[in-house]
Amino acid sequence: MTAIEAVATYLPEQRVPVEQLGDELGLTRMEVRLFRRFHELADVCRAPGMSIVDLLLAATRRLDALRGREHLVRYVLHARTFPVVVPYPVNPVHDVCGALGLDQAQAFTVTHHACATGLLALDVAGRLLASGDEPDALALILTGEKAFTRDAQLVSGSSLFGEGAAACLVSADGPRDRLLAYAVNQRGDFDDELSADPARFQDEYPSALAETIVAAVDRAGLRLAEVGLILPHNVNVIAWQRLCHRIGFPYGKVLLDNVPLTGHVFCADAFVNYQTACARDLLRPGDRYLVAAAGSGLGATFSAMVFEH
Amino acid sequence: MTTPLDTITRERVVDAICTVLPRVVRNELAVATEDTRLMEDLGLSSSSTLELMLELEDALEIQINVEDIDRDDFRTVGTLATFVAGHLLTEE
Repeated sequence: MTAIEAVATYLPEQRVPVEQLGDELGLTRMEVRLFRRFHELADVCRAPGMSIVDLLLAATRRLDALRGREHLVRYVLHARTFPVVVPYPVNPVHDVCGALGLDQAQAFTVTHHACATGLLALDVAGRLLASGDEPDALALILTGEKAFTRDAQLVSGSSLFGEGAAACLVSADGPRDRLLAYAVNQRGDFDDELSADPARFQDEYPSALAETIVAAVDRAGLRLAEVGLILPHNVNVIAWQRLCHRIGFPYGKVLLDNVPLTGHVFCADAFVNYQTACARDLLRPGDRYLVAAAGSGLGATFSAMVFEH
Repeated sequence: MTTPLDTITRERVVDAICTVLPRVVRNELAVATEDTRLMEDLGLSSSSTLELMLELEDALEIQINVEDIDRDDFRTVGTLATFVAGHLLTEE
């Protein structure tokens, strides 16, 4: 059963207030006020002068559990929100592997689930490790991107992207943070290029993600009431309030503390929130918790995973 | 005072919604009553409903607790006014 061995994150110290980003992005005063009042976005992480490789390395170098076990890493996966983050033929995942001495690992990028790709990478890593015959083999998942284009800075009416990174060490089996279930709902009908009504995505978003969460919990053989904590994607607060109201889950059990502090850190949100949950002692051995994410772009993906700590 | 506070507040909310709606729907000629359907008649979306809430907060100098708001609360001007009147955040 796929297990998370360790997580490390890097969040730059620099924070930019939403008002400043609003000016830079040409948002209206109303758009900015909505972000702060209802989405509860306040400050967003920025790392000027750091490349995507710098961000990924900064997170991975904090991954103490990797130290001395580099030779056991069989796979390195970079889970990305955006399919293109550097000009061809540069590939940040190979640069990171070179810098960390992980040249023996198979390194590749996972994408096309947009901001839910981090969960896809966990699933892929677990499957790859399980298909091998090395019980000590590891996979390293990297997340984090640069907010380098308008699309990589802003989800109109919904969120602002923050820069940062996370590194997660995965094994095929382990004693804690074991993956109990994974549910994915892919909606091709939300393809931006085909949809005549982009607002429909915002309207249907809470129910689509809610259905996926309920499916993952059901697949884990649990009831929603047995889920002690949800680690969300940090897209905004209002979406989670609506979702919780819809499924009858206590809003206070969704860890939204980082939304006003970091913004939406691409696929790294789940791992950033996991670290916050551990730091605040919110997870006890045996606790079941859920990680959820949604992403849109060319289609939309709604994903949820249930873990046992 | 013989009228319950909630009733006054709700009526004030209805008036305020009808006042700010033309600005929110970008149509100065939009006329709304308590029975006007926000989505069907005026085409409000998820994002414009938030704009409406913020305009209401400004107009009435209140803060609304939106934690429990549901799509059904946005059915008509009247249902939204009922929700708002019952979900005011106080500074106590």
